[in-house]
Order: sequence, then C-alpha cells, then structure tokens
Amino acid sequence: MRQARPYSGIFCGGVSARTGPHALPLARIKKIMKRSAGEAAAAADGGARMISGEAPVVFSKACELFVAELTRRAWAATLDGKRRTVHREDVATAVHNTDLFDFLVDVVTADTAGGTGGGGHDGNGAL
Amino acid sequence: MDSSSFLPAAGAENGSAAGGANNGGAAQQHAAPAIREQDRLMPIANVIRIMRRVLPAHAKISDDAKETIQECVSEYISFITGEANERCQREQRKTITAEDVLWAMSRLGFDDYVEPLGAYLHRYREFEGDARGVGLVPGAAPSRGGDHHPHSMSPAAMLKSRGPVSGAAMLPHHHHHHDMQMHAAMYGGTAVPPPAGPPHHGGFLMPHPQGSSHYLPYAYEPTYGGEHAMAAYYGGAAYAPGNGGSGDGSGSGGGGGSASHTPQGSGGLEHPHPFAYK
Repeated sequence: MRQARPYSGIFCGGVSARTGPHALPLARIKKIMKRSAGEAAAAADGGARMISGEAPVVFSKACELFVAELTRRAWAATLDGKRRTVHREDVATAVHNTDLFDFLVDVVTADTAGGTGGGGHDGNGAL
Repeated sequence: MDSSSFLPAAGAENGSAAGGANNGGAAQQHAAPAIREQDRLMPIANVIRIMRRVLPAHAKISDDAKETIQECVSEYISFITGEANERCQREQRKTITAEDVLWAMSRLGFDDYVEPLGAYLHRYREFEGDARGVGLVPGAAPSRGGDHHPHSMSPAAMLKSRGPVSGAAMLPHHHHHHDMQMHAAMYGGTAVPPPAGPPHHGGFLMPHPQGSSHYLPYAYEPTYGGEHAMAAYYGGAAYAPGNGGSGDGSGSGGGGGSASHTPQGSGGLEHPHPFAYK
C-alpha cells in the first residue's frame, strides 16, 4: 500500500500503520529534527525541545519536493555532460549552480574531498 | 554541531590518509554516530523512488549520487529545523510546530514550497485523521490520568442535552473536552498559555482556553491530533459502523495511548459512558 500509492493515499483511505500516505518515515525525520533542535536548545537554554507531531508531516512532503528539485537539476548537469548516469559530480554541480542550495556546499564538497582523499572540512556550512 | 554529523563520514572515507589529530578526532566522534548511521539519513529506497519519479525512464543513478542526495536531505532537515528552533527560542516556546517549519522555509528561500506544503498540511488534517492519530502517538505528551479538570463535567452535561438533537454535534464536543485536558497537562505550572478565544467549531459558544494560532485554530496539535483521530473514530463508529479501515487505524493508535484512553475504548459503542467515567 505504501509502496504503490505515494500520492493517492492522500485522497482515499489508503493508510498504513507505519508511515501513512507519506513518502518518508516520520520517525526518522523526527530523529533528525530532534538531534538538530536538541543540540541548539541544549546549548542555548539547557532545555529539551519538543517537536509537534505535524512538523515531520510537513517535512515528509518538503523533502519530496527538495529531492525532486535537486534531482532535476542534477539531471540537467548530467545532460550537459552527454551522459545518462547521474553521478555525485552532477549533484555537486547542481548545488553550486543554485543559490538556494548554498547550505549544501559543504555536504557535496566533503563527499568530493573524501573521494579524492584531500582537503579538510570546515564547519561554516552548519552555522 | 551539524558539521560533527558529517565528520565521521569524511574520516571513514579518508581512512589511513587522514592526519593523526584529525583521525583521533574522527575516531572519538565516530562511535556514537556510527551506531545510529541508519537513523542519520533517510531510507535510500524512499529517496531513490522520489528521484526516479522525476527522471526519465532511461536515466541511471550511481550509488555515490544516491548517497550524496541522502546526505543533502538530512542536511536540509537540520537546516530548516535550526531556523525554526531559533524562532521558538525567541518566542519562549518549547515545541516546534508545523507553522514554525513553514515559516523557516519561507525565511530561508524555499518560498515555492510553502504553498503546496500548506495545502498538504490542511488536507492531512482534514482527511487523514486516522493516519495522524497513528503517526502522532509516539510523540504524544503523556496525559495525567488522575487529573480531573473542573470543566470536564460541563461537556458531559452538554453532551447529554444535545444527544437527541444531532449526532454530528458530538464530535466537536469531544474536541473541547480532550483539548482542555491536554491544555492543563501541557501548561500546568510552566509556560503561559496563549490568550483564550472563542472556538471555531460551529454550534458551540463555550469559551476556549486556547486561542487561534497563526494559521489554524488547532494550536499545539500533537496530542490533540491523536485525540482528534480517536474522537473521529468513536464518533464515526456510532453512526457509520461499516468503516472498518478507519477503525483499525484508530484502534492501533488507541493501543499506543496512555491508560486514560482505556475507558473510552471500552465504551466506544455507548457514547455517554466515556464521560461518566471522568
């Protein structure tokens, strides 16, 4: 059910116990959110941050849109290279060519640096 | 601290080529994140499915591209969550809501996403009450079973008086009862509750402790969403017994809830009973 109907589940009663109609598991999203928010909250006021149950729902859809857009731009870079296989370099090119994805420069750069075995990793992207 | 989540990966990729100091640092941080490596990223099957949806049929995706996109998705979630968290801190709130996430996206340049996501959230709240109930159970705040709110008797009386008139009125009535209970549980002795305002449900003029949030009347949805799902199920069961799928979903959610939900489960077919027990 969850595999077959990523979108139609929203309109009819197709609901699975684990993720419902969402393409990405909500529990996993919540863990990532909790790690990100928890560290900042602990550093600031020492309090634990709570996450509304609907925030992962919004992220589930947002990540679909994000992956779709990033994939389309990576595919455009693949076509520029006259190839049919999307490589890591195509994703890096898409990130560098898009201002909206500036926060990902360190992610794709770290991966590229790891592949070549050189370069260091700075934490500026996270700030 | 987001950068620390990527250092282990870089260290692992560099292997012996890494310097002594860097290697030591990576080794120190590698233990804990390595255990939760699976929890750090989105499942790759889901990511690949989304990618293939926007690529032509003959397109191929290399393994390193898949992994890179996985990393990008996690970074995206952390990026948006960090901004939403800052807003919560400024406003002295402890819960990151869906509205905070949408606000953070518009602030960080993802304006095009806000409108479809708002529609998605609205649709989710309207039609997928069962899924919401199931999904929200793990995150629901534990309600105090022994706590008896002073107003809990009034809803019961109102329910009995309105019972013969219309069955549809019971559903919003159920909302109010549980919402007030959760309100007491969530704000007892801590943060100042939002200003009270009239509820947006037709037919009820009882003053509501929680006012409207920025977009929607349901402020602080998590546990309320779960209650709403069960309320929707119990309300529907009395008047639409054929709704088996919905029952299954709500039943699963109820099982995960706290002990205070048990009386309602037992009294599902007889509506007055849940309130009599309170």
